[in-house]
Amino acid sequence: MQKKQKIRLDRYLFISVLSVCVGIFIWWLVTDGLGIFRSNVLPSPIKVFKTFLRKWVETKPDGATLFQHVFASLQVALGGYLIGAAIGIPLGIFMAWNDKIDMFVRPVFDLVRTIPGVAWTSVMVTLVGIGYMSKALVIFIAAMVAMVINSYSGIKQTKTVHLWVGQTFGASNWDLLTKVAIPSALPMIFTGLDVALGSAWTTLVAAELLASTKGLGFMIQQARGIFRLDIVIVGMVVIAITGAILSSILRFFQRKFVKGGRM
Amino acid sequence: MLATGITKGRRVAYGIFGIFVFMCIWYLATKYTSLGSVMPDPVTVFSGFFAAFVTPIGTKTMALHILISLRRMLIPYAIGALSGVLIGVLMGWYRFADAIFMPYIQMLRPIPPIAWIPLSIIWFGFDEGSKYFLIFLACFFTIALTTYNGVHSVDETLIRAAKMLGAKDYQLFTTIVLPTTVPYIFSGLQVALGSAWATIVAAEMIRSSEGVGWLIVRGQDVGNMTQIMIGIVAIAITGLLITTIMRGVEAKLCAWAERGK
Amino acid sequence: MSSREALIEFRHVDKSFNKPEHGEYQVVGDLNITVRENEFLVLFGPGQCGKSTILNMVAGFEMPTAGEVLCQGKPVLAPGPERGMVFQNTALFPWLTVMGNVEYGPKVQGVKKEERRKRAQRYIDLVGLQGFENSYPVKLSGGMQQRVGIARAYCNEPLVMLLDEPFGHLDAQTRYMMQDELTRIWQAEKRTVIFVTNNIEEAVYLADRILVLRNCPTGVKAEYDIDLPRPRNYTDPEFLRLRREIDRVVDHTL
Repeated sequence: MQKKQKIRLDRYLFISVLSVCVGIFIWWLVTDGLGIFRSNVLPSPIKVFKTFLRKWVETKPDGATLFQHVFASLQVALGGYLIGAAIGIPLGIFMAWNDKIDMFVRPVFDLVRTIPGVAWTSVMVTLVGIGYMSKALVIFIAAMVAMVINSYSGIKQTKTVHLWVGQTFGASNWDLLTKVAIPSALPMIFTGLDVALGSAWTTLVAAELLASTKGLGFMIQQARGIFRLDIVIVGMVVIAITGAILSSILRFFQRKFVKGGRM
Repeated sequence: MLATGITKGRRVAYGIFGIFVFMCIWYLATKYTSLGSVMPDPVTVFSGFFAAFVTPIGTKTMALHILISLRRMLIPYAIGALSGVLIGVLMGWYRFADAIFMPYIQMLRPIPPIAWIPLSIIWFGFDEGSKYFLIFLACFFTIALTTYNGVHSVDETLIRAAKMLGAKDYQLFTTIVLPTTVPYIFSGLQVALGSAWATIVAAEMIRSSEGVGWLIVRGQDVGNMTQIMIGIVAIAITGLLITTIMRGVEAKLCAWAERGK
Repeated sequence: MSSREALIEFRHVDKSFNKPEHGEYQVVGDLNITVRENEFLVLFGPGQCGKSTILNMVAGFEMPTAGEVLCQGKPVLAPGPERGMVFQNTALFPWLTVMGNVEYGPKVQGVKKEERRKRAQRYIDLVGLQGFENSYPVKLSGGMQQRVGIARAYCNEPLVMLLDEPFGHLDAQTRYMMQDELTRIWQAEKRTVIFVTNNIEEAVYLADRILVLRNCPTGVKAEYDIDLPRPRNYTDPEFLRLRREIDRVVDHTL
């Protein structure tokens, strides 16, 4: 199992790098190298890289530069996400803290949460039409569900003994909630923020594929229509990278706010 | 205060009451506010849902739509799960395999499965092939990584105990590593199931002529809100059903771990 | 020295660890021990240092830096079924039932199901767990879990039993009870036992012979033969005298 890790680390790092290089070389070989796949089936790595660089300034073929697409997507995703968090976190905390409300709301919530975010796209498009609002609403729902689940279980995991300690010091119910339960639920709430972010971003891509006039999802859907696979792959990579960056920003805040860890 | 000692009966009663109140609010809102002009009331939706089991929507009845979506999902799900577990175990057990595969998994995993839709359509056409590919992607990475983490979480003292009792190397693997990994695999299967269900719905919404995702998007195309809501009910109930079944299987196989209290 | 054969021998054993924060860290220095067949040997010493390492070297989990550990005259190179260990944290397999845990040893060595079941049942009965064969370890109390650990080690029919502070996590009452149980089991099924503890009372209560260890790097500081009749009495004057005497030679610094 745990073999001599330190000594061999460099060797395995080398294997990893070699593995990636071989992978990219094979990709090049079957495209530019030997011409097995044409670029409307699989563009070569060089072409994808060139497109990636050029797309930052070029608006063809979908009417916007890469930056404009990223900006449009971020605007929708973050708008829906932030409202979802602002409503979802208190709702989750409230549901977990109040028994009656919990028993009352939870079954309804359990039903709603099994509906994937994308499915709401049709409802929202029919209600408010294609545009910023419909997508933001879909993302709002997707993000809120994840937020409620995690802040709910965060509060539910509060150690009874911590609450007792609070009670022996004469804390009121409100004090117990704000000074004991919420701080102890903070790591879970951040997990919720992370999960919600992932689900907001995924749902956004889906919503843009389905109903949109700009954004990264729209870009790859358009490019697919005219067999510009290089743009499709660039779009996928940018989607992945943006998602990863958003998530690491969140982790940064998590490290700042969550101190002490869980006991 | 946090929940302590409330009987199951009362919980169920409150739950049913909660759903009932939710339906009432929905009903009243559609009857007496302007929401009624765009949104059908719950009676229409649920009676429509059950009626669809007899009278087909499109060319198929509800049962068939659901079964078609499930089949589309379960075949590649099984393949993705199987290969995910295999690769995950391989990577967990052999550093060499870890070094080769891990960079690819780390690079490809951040791409949401849904973002593969355009590519998969070009590679595999509009038929089942592209949907299978998407579901496979939605399951494979998650399950491979959770399995990998499971193999790495093996308790060193248990390995010692097994060695002390005379277990050989392959027996360490089958009797210690695999059982430790099973709960991890199940949590991966659970997450992957949710994401596979979301992906199949999205894929069907983008291109298909049957299935629950099609129900919704078809409703959107013809401006039939009732059909959209019927589709959503179908998605919710089926999703609930498959995750409940999965949880049941998990509880049976991982009884020793006493998880999910 | 008694006339009985030497089963385990430590010959000039040194053991050092390389810890990043401490650098080279010597835990055992020039250790010489002879363990005779069927004796109940207690290694007693305060603090965290060295005792478990000695046991781990007999078990074959760790190798000496210098010198050698012999079992029946052959150097110990790897863990093996002839040296059974009972772990402080039980190390039971949580996914196996009591029966599954106890029969694990014979099972991996290819003993037929019927035979190993019979053998396992005998040891389950011996430790007093009949009726719990199909329970999972999480359902058992700490004392019962450690009984399973003892039965599991016994079921492999090892030459020597290694017990690493097996009762360290138990509450005082259960601990007394388990000490009696262990004495009973040992008298019923004689084995060579090496028992590690940091509790003087436990040491005097159980041992044929006590080796008092010094602090790091550890070695034998004093040796006592205890030939009080069993079952022993914690308040017997001779018991208390031995207890005081041993207490006086122990390093109380940490």
